[in-house]
Amino acid sequence: MEWLSIKLAFRNLMGSGKRTWLNVTVLSIAFVVIVFYNGLLDGWNLQAKRDTKAWETGSGRIDHVLYDQFDPLSLVDAHAPLGDMLKAEIESGRAVAVLAVQASAYPNGRMVNVLLKGIDPAQKTLLLPTAALDSGRVEGDPAIPVIVGDRTAKSAKLKEGDVMIVRWRDVNGTFDAREVRIAGIFKTTVPTVDGGQLWMPLEDLREMTSLYGEATYLVLSDEVIASGDFDSTGVLSGEWRYVDENALMKEIDDIIKTKRASSMIMSMLLLGIALLAIFDTQILSIFRRQKEIGTYIALGMTRLRVIGIFTIEGTVHSILAILLGLIWGMPLLKLIQYVGLPMPAGTDQVGLAIADKIVPAYSAGMIMASVVLVIVTSFIVSYIPARKISKMKPTEALRGKLL
Amino acid sequence: METEQIVKLEGVYKRFPAGKTEFTALNNISLAFGKGEFAGLVGPSGSGKTTLLNIIGSLDSPSEGTADVLGKRINTLSHKEAALLRNMGIGFIFQTYNLLPVYTVYDNVEFALLLQKRGAAERKKAVMEALEWVGLTEKANSKPSALSGGECQRVAIARAMVKRPQLVLADEPSANLDSKNSHHIVQTMKRLNKELGTTFIFSTHDEKVMQYLDRIIQLQDGMVVNQTGL
Ligand SMILES: Nc1ncnc2c1ncn2[C@@H]1O[C@H](COP(=O)(O)OP(=O)(O)OP(=O)(O)O)[C@@H](O)[C@H]1O
Ligand SMILES: [Mg+2]
Repeated sequence: MEWLSIKLAFRNLMGSGKRTWLNVTVLSIAFVVIVFYNGLLDGWNLQAKRDTKAWETGSGRIDHVLYDQFDPLSLVDAHAPLGDMLKAEIESGRAVAVLAVQASAYPNGRMVNVLLKGIDPAQKTLLLPTAALDSGRVEGDPAIPVIVGDRTAKSAKLKEGDVMIVRWRDVNGTFDAREVRIAGIFKTTVPTVDGGQLWMPLEDLREMTSLYGEATYLVLSDEVIASGDFDSTGVLSGEWRYVDENALMKEIDDIIKTKRASSMIMSMLLLGIALLAIFDTQILSIFRRQKEIGTYIALGMTRLRVIGIFTIEGTVHSILAILLGLIWGMPLLKLIQYVGLPMPAGTDQVGLAIADKIVPAYSAGMIMASVVLVIVTSFIVSYIPARKISKMKPTEALRGKLL
Repeated sequence: METEQIVKLEGVYKRFPAGKTEFTALNNISLAFGKGEFAGLVGPSGSGKTTLLNIIGSLDSPSEGTADVLGKRINTLSHKEAALLRNMGIGFIFQTYNLLPVYTVYDNVEFALLLQKRGAAERKKAVMEALEWVGLTEKANSKPSALSGGECQRVAIARAMVKRPQLVLADEPSANLDSKNSHHIVQTMKRLNKELGTTFIFSTHDEKVMQYLDRIIQLQDGMVVNQTGL
């Protein structure tokens, strides 16, 4: 009998022609757009996290307890000498130390605030091309080699080989100055290792600031996963704090969340239009087919069953829409995934790692969730008008009287 | 006539709201129909024929009085019980055929059996037999839109008869048919009435139909004014 309802619903729907296909088409567009947007955001999220991990955060960080990456003033005190255990981690290549100091730079006579970041030129933990800090050293030239990101280079009109002065306060609070030379300009999707940051050899920065053997934070390489390693040995006591990957990625998650909310509005609007069309069709078809409804009841169908037939009929829209969406949407979405989606220049303003191209990620779970969303909402808008049938008198339905 | 009574109406009134007052469509009807009857309600338009058939068919219930059909009291049936009664015991034939346009002739006839949850083989046998009764075996795979009015009404008869109900209610079955087809369908029903012992109750104002009826009940203004054939 359930099969009968489904068969009947399909036949009726197929028999009702153009209107059905219009509804199905609109709904299939909504479905594909929902999958596309979600895939885009999932892809962006993945890429942003992958790149942030590769360029900035590694597999986690050990921060000086006073270090707050969003507050440059915290840097004044956020540094400490490394204990033996942390030193051992660095020596074994499982971590890389970074010392961060606020400074001013004078590119082309202008003053800009910069962050000096000292890092071991031989490090392999991050993708930063720090090897240039060694190879870029010019014999007999006191200027310290630095590398900068292309955003910084562009905004300060710097090019490779340029020399400029940086000024900073030393531990005693007095100003000191040195020349630095641009030894390399790197291109990264991660704005937070770029904007206003000069990367230089760690030992040079330690010497400039007299912070010998000190660091602001340690970036952990892939081999170090658990904070337990550190806790058990007690190295984290007091001055250091372990920050895991999830905490470091929280900002990305937050941004993606707001992006998702705004893209949802667009998807839901489209879905809403499609659902409204189905709702409308349902009302119309229940109105037009009173005689048929009366006939079902005269033949001995319960009203509940008749409501079921009409609800299934409306819901079948969504099944057809999903099938149709797969037919035209799958190749399209695959193609977008294959070529990537070029992002317009200036999108890096959002403060989130963003590549020139985003490769959408369509996970089975996300697609299933979209399918369920479309089916469930169609079911609801099909059911609501169909409920009216239970209030119909069969005698009046048979006469085709107005509701 | 000492046959088993399958329909028994006693003091049935049906009133419909009409503006501030009420309109009495059936006025104190007391009637009984026995097993195997071939009877008709006749009378002018608005005399209450359809209203009476609807009550007998459990699609409506009396405002007053009692209606017992196939051992069930219509007044007190729930929607579900009424559906079951119609499903198992009553066949309907309508003036406008009321076939499902998206179904073939075969499917339309089978539909009544699907509601009864019968097995596939049994269904097939019953449907083919019913189509034979009405002479439409070769049209089994046609859609109603491809049939003439007479053929459509024969499909409707097959649909009503396929489950072999005890009672068939036919509301002006010939009103949309020409004279030849009218004769044909009534003859078909008369034959089934004889062969299967099914009780038929018609509503009609068609002389051609009336000549086949064993019993004629005349209605006027919701009252029985005359009966012949008893
Ligand atoms: N649901 C209803 N509401 C109000 N009045 C109704 C309703 N159903 C029927 N009536 C009225 O009851 C009277 C009898 O109607 P009914 O349909 O039974 O007549 P009928 O004898 O079948 O007529 P016809 O030959 O035209 O089919 C009519 O006056 C009709 O207007
Ligand atoms: Mg009538």
